[in-house]
Amino acid sequence: MMNYQNFKDIDINVHDYDIVLKIKDENDISVARQMAKSFAQKHNFSLADVTKIATAVSELSRNIYRYAKEGYIYIKKKETEPDKDISIEIIAYDRGPGIENVERAVAGGYTTSERSLGLGLAGVRRLMDSFYIMSEVGKGTIVVAEKRRRKF
Amino acid sequence: MKTKVVPTIKLYDYLIVPIQIELDDATVERLQMQLLNEISEKKIRGIIIDVSMVDIIDSYISFVLSETAAMAKAMGCYTVICKIQPQVALTLAQMGIKLKDAFTANSLERAIEILNQLD
Repeated sequence: MMNYQNFKDIDINVHDYDIVLKIKDENDISVARQMAKSFAQKHNFSLADVTKIATAVSELSRNIYRYAKEGYIYIKKKETEPDKDISIEIIAYDRGPGIENVERAVAGGYTTSERSLGLGLAGVRRLMDSFYIMSEVGKGTIVVAEKRRRKF
Repeated sequence: MKTKVVPTIKLYDYLIVPIQIELDDATVERLQMQLLNEISEKKIRGIIIDVSMVDIIDSYISFVLSETAAMAKAMGCYTVICKIQPQVALTLAQMGIKLKDAFTANSLERAIEILNQLD
């Protein structure tokens, strides 16, 4: 799992990722979730986990579009050891306005948008196995989330 | 001329809305307007939104669906959301999302029963 001390330390190598998608208009939200869905399906995730991953990507893409106007979704398959089960890592990265109170945003029920439940980030955290967020006001936001494949 | 996002079926005072398209943000907003117009024009007293074909319902889509139900209620019309897929229900519950202002049913028959009881 990635951990950044500083926003300027973020260095995402696009070549490491299976899917790199620029989010810049509303349509890209559904494109992103469809791509995440097919990607998870291709790697034999259970139907429940495919839905959770696609929903998480949908929430993250919408946050980018809504608050930062523009940003990227990165998705890759991760293999820790051969024969071990795989996981899918999702990164949402933008250079938008950042989140003033990250804890409050992640706790849920709080939103700065009029038409929202304020459950996006809190939901992503609950849907995924691991969740990391870093945000700096005026610099941007990065969310790294991971879902392991379960035997079913 | 207004184009319909989803073709609907009027049955007595009820409107059946089978969603068989991908629900992106713009589509679900247009669907909301369409339904409110139909409620008013056709004097609908109950809408049944069949989401059995919808694979992903995220926080915004559920927000708009709940909001539509609240608006419909203000117009004297009840809303039943019908046949949510198990994995979608699981995802919504895990995210802590509740579909406020709408009833839910696991079949079209049950949805009609609910609406009949409300009248």
